Amino acid sequence: MSEAVAAGGAPAHRAGVAPGSATKYVFIDSPELTAADLALRAYEIAPGVQIKETCFGLMINGPEDEVERLVAGIRELDPDRIFVKDRGFPPGDERRCRANLGGARPGFYGHENEMRLVRYISSGLRALRDPKKADLLRAKPKENDEPLSVERLSAIIEES
Amino acid sequence: MSVPVRIALLGCGTEYSGVMPEIYEAARQVEAEVFYPDVTLADVRAAGKGFGLDVHSADLRLMIARAEALVAGRTEADAVFVATCFRCAEAAIVRNELRRYIHEQSRLPVVSYSFTERTTAGTLLTRMEALVTIARRRALLARERQEGLTMGLDSGSATTKAIIMKDNEVIGTGWRPTTQVQQSADEVIELALAESGVRRSEIEAVGVTGYGRFLLGNAIGADLIQEELTVNSKGAVFLADRQHGFATVIDIGGMDNKAITVQDGIPGVFTMGGICAGASGRFLEMTSKRLGVDITELGPLAMKGMGGNVSMNSYCIVFGTQSLVNALAAGNSPEDVAAAACHSVAEQVYEQQLQEVDIREPVIMVGGTSLISGLVHAMGELLQTEILVPPHSQFIGAVGSALLASGFVRKG
Amino acid sequence: MAKVYIYPGTSLILSDLVARFGHRPLGSALAVREKVQAPGLDSPPLQITPEDPKKGLRFAAVEVPSGVRGRMSLHGPQIEEAEAGIIIRDADLAFGCMGCARTNELVQFLLHQRGIPLLELDYPRSDEEGIRFVASIREFLEGLPGGAPA
Repeated sequence: MSEAVAAGGAPAHRAGVAPGSATKYVFIDSPELTAADLALRAYEIAPGVQIKETCFGLMINGPEDEVERLVAGIRELDPDRIFVKDRGFPPGDERRCRANLGGARPGFYGHENEMRLVRYISSGLRALRDPKKADLLRAKPKENDEPLSVERLSAIIEES
Repeated sequence: MSVPVRIALLGCGTEYSGVMPEIYEAARQVEAEVFYPDVTLADVRAAGKGFGLDVHSADLRLMIARAEALVAGRTEADAVFVATCFRCAEAAIVRNELRRYIHEQSRLPVVSYSFTERTTAGTLLTRMEALVTIARRRALLARERQEGLTMGLDSGSATTKAIIMKDNEVIGTGWRPTTQVQQSADEVIELALAESGVRRSEIEAVGVTGYGRFLLGNAIGADLIQEELTVNSKGAVFLADRQHGFATVIDIGGMDNKAITVQDGIPGVFTMGGICAGASGRFLEMTSKRLGVDITELGPLAMKGMGGNVSMNSYCIVFGTQSLVNALAAGNSPEDVAAAACHSVAEQVYEQQLQEVDIREPVIMVGGTSLISGLVHAMGELLQTEILVPPHSQFIGAVGSALLASGFVRKG
Repeated sequence: MAKVYIYPGTSLILSDLVARFGHRPLGSALAVREKVQAPGLDSPPLQITPEDPKKGLRFAAVEVPSGVRGRMSLHGPQIEEAEAGIIIRDADLAFGCMGCARTNELVQFLLHQRGIPLLELDYPRSDEEGIRFVASIREFLEGLPGGAPA
């Protein structure tokens, strides 16, 4: 626990987070690739970027162009099962650190929620390269479901 | 340094209103630490169903999940602070229901507050301090008898009061309008000493409460400096001889009001403040001035009148005063106007504050305004109950301080 | 490359797909990053001060709760800057910046008011839906200025 929190104050934070630096989350949803594998590859691609292993993948922080280069390199490892998004806070920032807050930051639950669904996104990404899925690709996602019409409902009842 | 009291924050909008630093600061001042109870996504997904309140805002669902974790004991805390945005109806429903749920299902003290971007640490301080007092001083608050020779001081926004107690009896009182904190205190101490016939040096312990408690308490080296929520609760149940079981304490003060649900003398749920001085003793003071009577005569005058004859709304003290002037200009009797003013203040407190606590009988009214019989009557009508006004009710904070200070009397 | 507002602003999936298909996602993280990197502010955790809900008055009146206005001080400028938008309609479990239903209603309303190209869809709940979801996002993004097949 940080000194500031022990004294009851607000979580301390690192003064002067460098403006222009970018932080990104790299999420991995793969049975074949671990966060450690990702980290190893990341160090090779961009030694100057700060890399932190997490339970879901990596958090990377550094100059924006370096981070972008690293993201492009990491994606190649498993393009359909690696997902990347920006993060507002740098890694380990005590304002958002679970250890200081006592509980997860709200965003964590949002990620957890979407991570349940990314396997469908992976399927979607794979399908983009699969000529057999061409019909499905052309089908529009369903629009807001209209309520069942009375006519259709009675037809269903009669059919059953 | 002692272990900080852990206050669980159940909040929505706090991080987006600029009030988090104020919450942290208020906690820091009372050596508490604020934290978010940890829950899982599964808890959040189940929250709407389990609690039975299906709200749209995910952050409110998160609040419900966190409250359930506290009640179930999955996360440990010493107290709970429920904070949501002022004027948000969805959050107000959640805030009130969670406050009730935690109060009924656990022993955790809980305070709820609706903030704006203007909320400051100063506003939150007394509430945080009360949570910390309840968590840290349960043994002290368990005291039911005053022992030895002790003095209690209440440095309020409108008046300063002193009480001297000996062997569970009040033996001296002092009362003065507050001008300068220290000077007013010196005057009331002299009055109380004179009435009790004891010397200052004989006093074995001193307790201080009220707005000026820190300044005054440090200046005179008080043994106990404690916020008025816990002190007044203790004083109220002591004077009303209702130390066991539930009670509700209402204190309509000079600047703000307190409503406290008490169990065995310890606050469980409480609220403080109000929208405007229109809902406080200040409006009644203005009314008595306008009617040309002493504040002590306002109550009996109101008891002779019919409040229903005059339309008055003191939601805002400026508009309240305007309707007061209009009512008199329209030829209404001073009795009816006095009754309407009392009803209006009671109604504001009822509408704005009593919804934030659980009304448990007996309802005990304390503070200077409890001597205004018309106000007590109006509140009794609104709550449909007979209200208790104990002896020395205007000295409530000072009595509570003198009672609790006897925990510091050295035996032998 | 177009600036594409993503709703929910905290969405990993949208943020990833927009960037993957060559555009710039405008989401909560960028707005928060701007705040936390601003020098001279000391209002943890998000560096939102009481001034921010006042800035939010540009998007919502004073009787709207401070939490809505504070959130709008993050989302509002991005909505104004956006050249397109993607909305997930059933984003019920979006917390923090997107944790307030009233703010979210206002955000979606303002996006529609802008008259920019918008794509609205639901989260996929099967492989088949996932395929359609990704394909329609790609198609939408390809139709934007600077959009090209990935």
